[in-house]
Amino acid sequence: MTTVLMPSPDPVVFERRDRGIASSPEAEPASELAFAVKDLSMWYGSKRAIDKVTLDIPSKAVTAIIGPSGCGKSTFLRALNRMHELVPRTRIEGTVLLRGENLYANTIDSAVVRRRIGMVFQKSNPFPTMSIGENVIIGLRLNGVRDRRLLNEQLEKSLRMAALWDEVKDDLYKPGTSLSGGQQQRLCIARALAVEPEVILMDEPCSALDPIATAKIEELIHDLKKQYTIVIVTHNMQQAGRVSDYTAFFYMGRLIEFGLTTKIFTNPSQRQTEDYITGRFG
Amino acid sequence: MTQPKHILGTFDQALATLRNDVLMMAGLAERSLDRALKGLLQRDDNLCATAIADDEEIDQLEKQIDKDGVDILLRYQPVASDLRRVISAMKLSPNIERVGDQATSIARRARKLNGHPVLPEVEWIFPIQKHAMAMFKDSIDAFVREDVDLARAVVGRDNELDDMNRTANRKLTELMAQNPDQLRGYLNLIFVSRCLERVGDHATNISEDAVYAAAAEDIRHQTFAASS
Amino acid sequence: MQVLRANNHTWRKTKSALASALTFVSAVLVIAPLGLVFFYVLKMGAGALSLDFFTHLPAPVGSSGGGMANAIIGTLELLALASAIGIPIGVLGGVYLAEYGSARGNAMLRFIADVLNGVPSITWGVVVYGLVVLRFKGFSAYAGGLALGLIMIPLILRTTEEVILLVPNGYREAALALGIARWKTIVHIVMKTASRGIITGILIALARIGGETAPLLFTAFGNHFWNHSLSEPIAALPLQIFTYAISPYDEWHRQAWAGALVLVTGVFCVNVLVRILTRQRTASA
Repeated sequence: MTTVLMPSPDPVVFERRDRGIASSPEAEPASELAFAVKDLSMWYGSKRAIDKVTLDIPSKAVTAIIGPSGCGKSTFLRALNRMHELVPRTRIEGTVLLRGENLYANTIDSAVVRRRIGMVFQKSNPFPTMSIGENVIIGLRLNGVRDRRLLNEQLEKSLRMAALWDEVKDDLYKPGTSLSGGQQQRLCIARALAVEPEVILMDEPCSALDPIATAKIEELIHDLKKQYTIVIVTHNMQQAGRVSDYTAFFYMGRLIEFGLTTKIFTNPSQRQTEDYITGRFG
Repeated sequence: MTQPKHILGTFDQALATLRNDVLMMAGLAERSLDRALKGLLQRDDNLCATAIADDEEIDQLEKQIDKDGVDILLRYQPVASDLRRVISAMKLSPNIERVGDQATSIARRARKLNGHPVLPEVEWIFPIQKHAMAMFKDSIDAFVREDVDLARAVVGRDNELDDMNRTANRKLTELMAQNPDQLRGYLNLIFVSRCLERVGDHATNISEDAVYAAAAEDIRHQTFAASS
Repeated sequence: MQVLRANNHTWRKTKSALASALTFVSAVLVIAPLGLVFFYVLKMGAGALSLDFFTHLPAPVGSSGGGMANAIIGTLELLALASAIGIPIGVLGGVYLAEYGSARGNAMLRFIADVLNGVPSITWGVVVYGLVVLRFKGFSAYAGGLALGLIMIPLILRTTEEVILLVPNGYREAALALGIARWKTIVHIVMKTASRGIITGILIALARIGGETAPLLFTAFGNHFWNHSLSEPIAALPLQIFTYAISPYDEWHRQAWAGALVLVTGVFCVNVLVRILTRQRTASA
C-alpha cells in the first residue's frame, strides 16, 4: 500500500514547466532532434538536385520546407525516408540520422526506414480496390499483422487520430474513394499513422483541397505534433506560417535558411529568403 | 533601399501609397507645427488659424493609413520586411497625428499670447522648437529611408529635449513668482514648451517603429529594463 | 465581312452535311460485316442445332444426326491447356515489363512481343509440329495447347503491361511509404488495382485463340471420338468445322454451320463479358 502514501506528482507543475520551455520565443531549437542531416547531396543522373544540405530537424514539432518549384524541397523530403530510391539513376551522398541512426547504412532495409517515417502525398491516394477500413489497416496487414483484434484497435485509433472516425465509423466497408477530397487525405494520414511511425512527411498535403478541408488538415497537423515529428513541404507560405514551428527555405537545391518560423517570416536573415517570401522573385 | 520589385505590381503600388500617405501626413504635421510656432514668434494669428485648420486633414490621413494598412494585410498577407513596414506605418501614424494635435495646442496658446503684450521669454521657446522639430523630421526620415542609425540617434536626443523643457519650466515658474501679473502668459509658455517636449516623445516612438521596420528589432523600454 | 455572307453559309452547311453522310456510310460499312456474319451463320446453322449437337459424337458418314460434343469439350480442354501456359507466363512477363527491368531490355522485349503478335498463327502450328509432334511421334492435345498458349503469351503480356502501367504511381508510392515490400506492393496493390484489366486481356486472348484453326492442324490434329488422354489427338470446334466444311456431304455442311454458330456465340459472349468488366472499371475509377 505504499502507492497510497506516495505523493503523486502534480500534473499542473509538470505542465507549467513544459510550457515555460516551449513558450520562450527566442529559444533556438533546444528540444530533442529527430533528424540530423549532414552534407546531403543528391543527383538525378548527372543533375544535382540537392547540394550539401545540413539541417537538424527537431522532434515533436512541425518543420515546414518552402521554396520555389524545382528547388529540391520535395526531393529532400523523399530523401528523408528513402523514397527517392524509386526513381532510377539517383545517387546520394552525405548522412541522414534519425535519432542517431544512419538511415542509409547498408544494414538498414528501406522498408524498415519507411515504416518509421510515414508519408502523405500531394494527391490523396486511398487504394481504390479497398474499403475505408481496409485502407487504414493495409500497412499492418501486409507487414504481417494477422491479429483481428489488434487490427480493429489500430483501425479505430488511427481514424480517431486523423479526426475522421466520427465521419466514417458507420461506413468503414465503403470504398475509400467514395470520400470527399479532404476526407480522403485524412484517410491517407490515418493509413500512415496505423503503422505507428515516428515521423510523418507531408508533401504539399493540401494543395488540392478547398480552404475548409485545408483548415481541417492544418488543425490535425497541430494535434499530431504532440506525438509525431512532422515535416511538411508546402507552396503556401501562409500555411507554413500557420502550421509550422520551424521553417527551412530551399533554393536551387541548397538550404538557404533555417530557423523559427516566426523569425523567418518577420525577419529572415538571408536576402534570398526575404525576396522569396515577400514575393520578389523575378 | 535597392530591394527588387514584387512580382505583383499592385502590391508595390499599395505599399508605395501607404508610404506616401505617411510622408504626406508627416509633412502636414511638420508644416502645422512650424506655422503654430511662427504664429507665436511672429505674433501672427492667421498662421495659428491655418495650423489649427490643417489638423482636420492630418486626422483624415491617419484614418486613411489605417484603412490602407488593413487593406494590404487583407489582400497581400505581407511577411518579413513588407509586414514590418505596414505594421510600423500603422503604429506611427497615431504619433504623427499627436504631433498635429500638439501643433494645434501650440497654435491655441500662441493666439492667447498674441492677445497680450510681448513677453521677451518667448525667445526661450526657439531652441526647444528647433530641437523638437529636428527630432520629428529625422524620425520620419529614418522611417522612410530605413536608416537605423539615424533612428537610434533620434531616441538618444530626447533626453536633451526633456532637459531643455525642464529648464524652461523652472525658469518660467520662477518668473511667475516674481511677476504674478504675467502669470497667464508664463503659464501659456510652459504649455508650449511641454507640447514641444511631447513632440520629442512622439518622434522617439516613431524612431522606435522605424528601427522595427528596418531591422526587426524592438528597442522600446530597453532603458527601463536595463536600469531596473 | 465577306466570309459571313449568307450563300457562303449555305455552302458550308452543305459541305458539313456531306461529310456527315460519308462518315455515316463508313460506319455502316464497318457494322455490316458483323451483321452479315451473324445473320448468315444464324440462318445456316440454327437448323442443325439441337440438343444432340451438344451431347453426341459425330455420326458416321451417310447417317444423319450426331453432334460435336467431343469438339466442344476438346476446345475447352485446349483452352485450359493454353491458359496454363499462356496466362502465368504472359501475366508475369507483363508485370516484369511494367515494374522491373531496364529501359533498353524492356524496349527489346516489347518489340519481340509485338513481332510475335504479328506472326501468322499457322507458323506456330508448324513450329510446334517440328519441335513437339515430330519429336514425340504423335499429334496430341498437349501440342495443340502449347501452340495456342504460345500465341496467348505475347497478347497477354502486352495487355498486362499496359494496364499495369495505367495504375497511377501514387498507389505504389503510398504502399511503399507504408514500409510494404516491393513484391507485396505489386501483388496486393498494383495487380489488384489492375486486375480487371488483366482479366480483360486474358479473355480477349482466349476469344482470339478459341477460333484458331491453323495452329491446330499440325498439333491437335482432330479426333472423331472422345479423347481419353491429353497425349492423344484431340478434337476442336474450329478444326471440326474446317473438316466438315471441306467435305462433300450436305449433312456435314449443316453441322459445320451449327459449329460456326456455337463458336461465334462463344466469342461474342466473351466479348460482352469483357465489355461489362471494362465498363465497371471505368465507372469505379
